[in-house]
Amino acid sequence: MNTTEPTLYVVNPDVSCREEGPDGALLFNPDTDAVLVINTTGLLIWEALREPRDKAGVVTALESRCNNVPEDSVAGDVDEFMEQLIAKGFLGIYQGTVQF
Amino acid sequence: MSAPQSVDIAITGRCNLHCKYCFYADEMVALRDLPTERWLAFFAELGGLAVQRVTLTGGEVFTRPDLFELIDGVIANRMRYGLLTNGTLVTEKVLAQFEQGKRRLRLDSIQISIDGSRAEIHNKTRPDSFDRAIRGLRLLVEAGFPMTVRVTITRHNVDDLENIAHLLLEDVGLKSFSTNEAYACGIVERQEENIILTPAQRRQAMHVLTDLVARYDGRIGATAGPLALARESERIEAALARGETGFPGRGTLSGCGGMWSKLAVLHDGAIVPCHTISELKLGVIGVDDFQQVWLSHPTMVMLRQRHTIPLQSLDTCRDCIYQGFCTGGCPQGALFFNSDINTRNPMNCYRVFKGEDPYYTLETGEAM
Repeated sequence: MNTTEPTLYVVNPDVSCREEGPDGALLFNPDTDAVLVINTTGLLIWEALREPRDKAGVVTALESRCNNVPEDSVAGDVDEFMEQLIAKGFLGIYQGTVQF
Repeated sequence: MSAPQSVDIAITGRCNLHCKYCFYADEMVALRDLPTERWLAFFAELGGLAVQRVTLTGGEVFTRPDLFELIDGVIANRMRYGLLTNGTLVTEKVLAQFEQGKRRLRLDSIQISIDGSRAEIHNKTRPDSFDRAIRGLRLLVEAGFPMTVRVTITRHNVDDLENIAHLLLEDVGLKSFSTNEAYACGIVERQEENIILTPAQRRQAMHVLTDLVARYDGRIGATAGPLALARESERIEAALARGETGFPGRGTLSGCGGMWSKLAVLHDGAIVPCHTISELKLGVIGVDDFQQVWLSHPTMVMLRQRHTIPLQSLDTCRDCIYQGFCTGGCPQGALFFNSDINTRNPMNCYRVFKGEDPYYTLETGEAM
């Protein structure tokens, strides 16, 4: 039986997050100069990833904050969003320490 | 924006040069430097507001013995940084210090001013500094630093622009450089010798720079000064020939967008909208809440409302045919010439440049 542990992700501690009221937030990676504007749902995901979580854990955290969310589409959207964050160096893989 | 995107910070009032167009000369004499810990506490405040970048300037930044401690404070608070320097204190030993930690990674650019292709020209406005500045520039370029050079055009170097372009782009090997001109502010007004371009010299610089831009594939830039004026002039005349009466977003006092993205701090900790209008003090770092200053200080509110003032409402602009193409120019000049920031800046006025303005003439530089 395959017992591979799920990959845990966590925010890059060097990335700043500026909340802009109801509009969402602005992420900034000072190492790469990359900027990403995220909406309020993206901000919820970002907040969830302040502690290490796998993708399923992020979906669970998001569902606990939002009502009447269709699980299938949420999982797909979370996956797509997290892949974008990983590609831009906003998220790292957590293995005791954060790996980028 | 809940906080500025960037902050320009004069970390020192000390300078090893006495340049003849320094807009910061009076502040350097009058104000005292803050100690390291005050700046580090301020950088922590900026990091908490998710400010993205700071530009460290002075005075001369390399006169501060704790410069790299301050840079590390910027880095620790998740920001990038740029440096404005005269370049004369840059040595191999200084360059080696950039190799520690993320000092290179987080560096946006280092800007050095070069005002002539030879010492006898450069040194007329930046005394006794050409050889050291060029040595510093070459060291930085050869080490692969992200460099920018600013050429400030005056009566002394207006005939040297072609040689300057050759020096910087071909000899030193810069990717590009930018230009501006000396304006009436700071120490310029008290010089015995007038270094500000005459109208004829400004037109000469416009033509020469336009030719050089073509020759060097756009590697010369400007956001103000003769080259910017040449580009603006071309756009306006082409639009007028097409029968247009203005550009989108013009026709109000909207000549500066800094109040939407930036703040500045003097070396004594005073918060100001911009280093060029240092008389408009908004507060003091470590005393006043920086975010509140940004969001709601009456001067910041006024500067943002300035964008809504139609040029049509100003006596100087009401009957101007270029009104719809105009932004009123840099607020610093409005304050300097008119003692009222909610006016136009005559130095950025196209009608003044064309010699058609009934209120101000560049020939004498005096109000009519």
